[in-house]
Amino acid sequence: MLSQAMFPWLLLTAAFLFTLGALGVLIRRNPLVVFMCIELMLNAVNLALVGYSSYLNSEEGQVFAFMVIVVAAAEVVVGLGLLTRVFSIGRELDVDDLDEMKQ
Amino acid sequence: MNASTAALLAGLVLLFPLAGSALCGLIGPVLGRRFVNLAGTLSIGAAFAVTLVIFVQVLGAASGHQSTTATLWNWLDLGPGNLNVSVDVTIDQLSVLMLLVITGVGLLIHVYSVGYMEHDPGAARFFSYMNFFIFSMALLVLAANMVILIIGWAAVALSSYLLIGFWYERESAVLAARKAFITQVIGDVALVIAALLIFVNLTTAPPACIPAHGTVCPLILAVPQHLYTLSLPQIFAHASSLGVGSPLITLICILLAVGAFAKSAQFPLHTWLPDAMEGPTPVSALIHAATMVTAGVYLIARFHSLFDLAPIASGMVACVGMGTAVMAGFIALSQVDIKRVIAYSTMSQIGLMIFAVGIGAYAAGMYQFLLHAFFKALLFLAAGNVIHAVHDEQDIREMGGLDSRMRVTAWCFLVGSLALAGFLFAGMFSKEDLLGFGLINGPGAPALYIVGIVVNVLTGLYAFRLYGTTFRGEPRSEAARNAHESKAVMLWPVVILAGLSALAGWILQWPVAFGPHLIDAFLNPVFTSPGSGPIAKAPELWPGVLGFVIGLTCSLIGIAIALRIWVRHDLDPSRVLARPGLRLLPRLSFNKLYFDEIYDALLVRPTRAVARGLRRVGDPVMDSWIKGVSGVATDFSSAFRTIQTGLIRDYASYMVLFVVIFTVAVMLAAGLAK
Repeated sequence: MLSQAMFPWLLLTAAFLFTLGALGVLIRRNPLVVFMCIELMLNAVNLALVGYSSYLNSEEGQVFAFMVIVVAAAEVVVGLGLLTRVFSIGRELDVDDLDEMKQ
Repeated sequence: MNASTAALLAGLVLLFPLAGSALCGLIGPVLGRRFVNLAGTLSIGAAFAVTLVIFVQVLGAASGHQSTTATLWNWLDLGPGNLNVSVDVTIDQLSVLMLLVITGVGLLIHVYSVGYMEHDPGAARFFSYMNFFIFSMALLVLAANMVILIIGWAAVALSSYLLIGFWYERESAVLAARKAFITQVIGDVALVIAALLIFVNLTTAPPACIPAHGTVCPLILAVPQHLYTLSLPQIFAHASSLGVGSPLITLICILLAVGAFAKSAQFPLHTWLPDAMEGPTPVSALIHAATMVTAGVYLIARFHSLFDLAPIASGMVACVGMGTAVMAGFIALSQVDIKRVIAYSTMSQIGLMIFAVGIGAYAAGMYQFLLHAFFKALLFLAAGNVIHAVHDEQDIREMGGLDSRMRVTAWCFLVGSLALAGFLFAGMFSKEDLLGFGLINGPGAPALYIVGIVVNVLTGLYAFRLYGTTFRGEPRSEAARNAHESKAVMLWPVVILAGLSALAGWILQWPVAFGPHLIDAFLNPVFTSPGSGPIAKAPELWPGVLGFVIGLTCSLIGIAIALRIWVRHDLDPSRVLARPGLRLLPRLSFNKLYFDEIYDALLVRPTRAVARGLRRVGDPVMDSWIKGVSGVATDFSSAFRTIQTGLIRDYASYMVLFVVIFTVAVMLAAGLAK
């Protein structure tokens, strides 16, 4: 059981991790690192969800956390698949170089 | 016949031509001419066979049970008190008679077309359209729901349009097709308005209470309920709820009559029919003589329950019919295109049918329809043979002397002309029959009968002017001199139709001598069923015989004068016509009473002038408007286009930015709410 006093610190930790992840997504150019940053953001959300679940004494937050884990796993599969494909056709792994969406 | 048999048979009659149309149109061009000829004619043959089965069933049914209404499927159901349309068909004596002519004469004309279209590259398209016409016409006569009837009504106009403009490289054909279609649409609109008026106003009639012995009427009678239906049996059963002779039912009947006039080329909507002769000749025979143009007669006969209750509208119908008959007969006297002469004679004969249904002699009108289908299809097909023989020449001044060169066609044409003029053959029976009804029925009787015998004289005149100038005398052109007889496939249908024209009247009249003919006995149950009003009374024996003799004499006078002028050449009409009072007549007749010119001056030119004026004003105004609006849209979107960089990091930044803005906004709102 989490003590009530620790709850704000937990939320702050989650917010810090989320900001770290978001900044990573915005700043880093290597798609692998961008992916890891997205995972960081998702896990920050998980942390907040589980924290609330414990704080409010309800299971719903944990159920949502599981949902997020499943979605994150699926997203990694698709994303890594895309990255392997980009790499195999001989393109440089740089998100700024992959700007075909403009067309 | 029970409902499921009726549904099956009617479905088959509809299905065969539709399938034939699809086959010819979709895979016909690929599979070639032999396939098209087979599919196009066999489909109609099959439909005719099914029609014969229906006919036998109806003949064999017990009296009072000949009429069957069946539902094929429910098409539209918007709940009670709202529009419900089910695809219903009625099989009764009237629809089966129409079907017999549509598929029977249709079959002969399709066989003829195999020969006529032999060298035309568009034969597949032609048979596809013709089959589609048979389907739509069958739908029109089978329909037991006004919506379905209107669909059939519009579909025959469509096939007529397609077939008039069949040779679309010719500008005149395209213009004629357009004219026919536009005129038809006037009729369609009238029909739709009539349907809406019926839909809104039809109620259950309040039950009449006749206090019988020992009973008392209830103080409050049941309030009439709105029916909101377009089912024909329902409409006919409750026709009296529209009021007997009321302005409402008169208006409805006049609208129905306008629809009928447009379809049947009656004054003032008649100008499209002569132009429709631009289509191939089998089309003129099938659509513009035997079947489609008689749909107006059918419509009035089908809605007789309503017309019985609207004497003013019926009287108007009778007058318009007889007026058109005289007018068209007069114009036919001086036309020089062989098909146009026959077209005007069609208009005139249909005028007589319209007159008959207008005075309530429905069976007489349908009798004329039946026999007219035979001899008019015969005349058109024979004319087609002539046109083929003289290399697509249609001007009768370039013909002459064809009787020794095309013996079979000439004899058949003579039979057709006699039937048309009303001597010995078909026309003598049907025309004198309906004129006989005119003796004692209709507005101002026997005024219209007297006009009718004038029509008889005119008919004899133009029929034998046409026969004389085309077939007798010396050939007046090289093509006519070298003409020769057509192939067997184009002769047999003509010969069969000639046989029908010669014998049908005798067969239908012989067993009953001076009594009402067999068609009368066959159809009258339809027109005397419960809910119908009184129908026209047949004249007594001796006045009837007198009327017959006078009518026949007038026909003979017409024939005799025509023979003297155009065959023996011992009578010259030009001296009579040179008199001051009569000098105008030939010009009026030749120029079709200037109807096209009048419509052009009254309708076409003003409309064009208004359109041109509006365009001069409207173009600058509308252009500036539209350019202004589109300019704003372009500027707006080009401002936003720059943020579409294609860089993932940019998109992510926008996302984060707006999440932050949104979060701050929510927090501020929550703070304000406290």
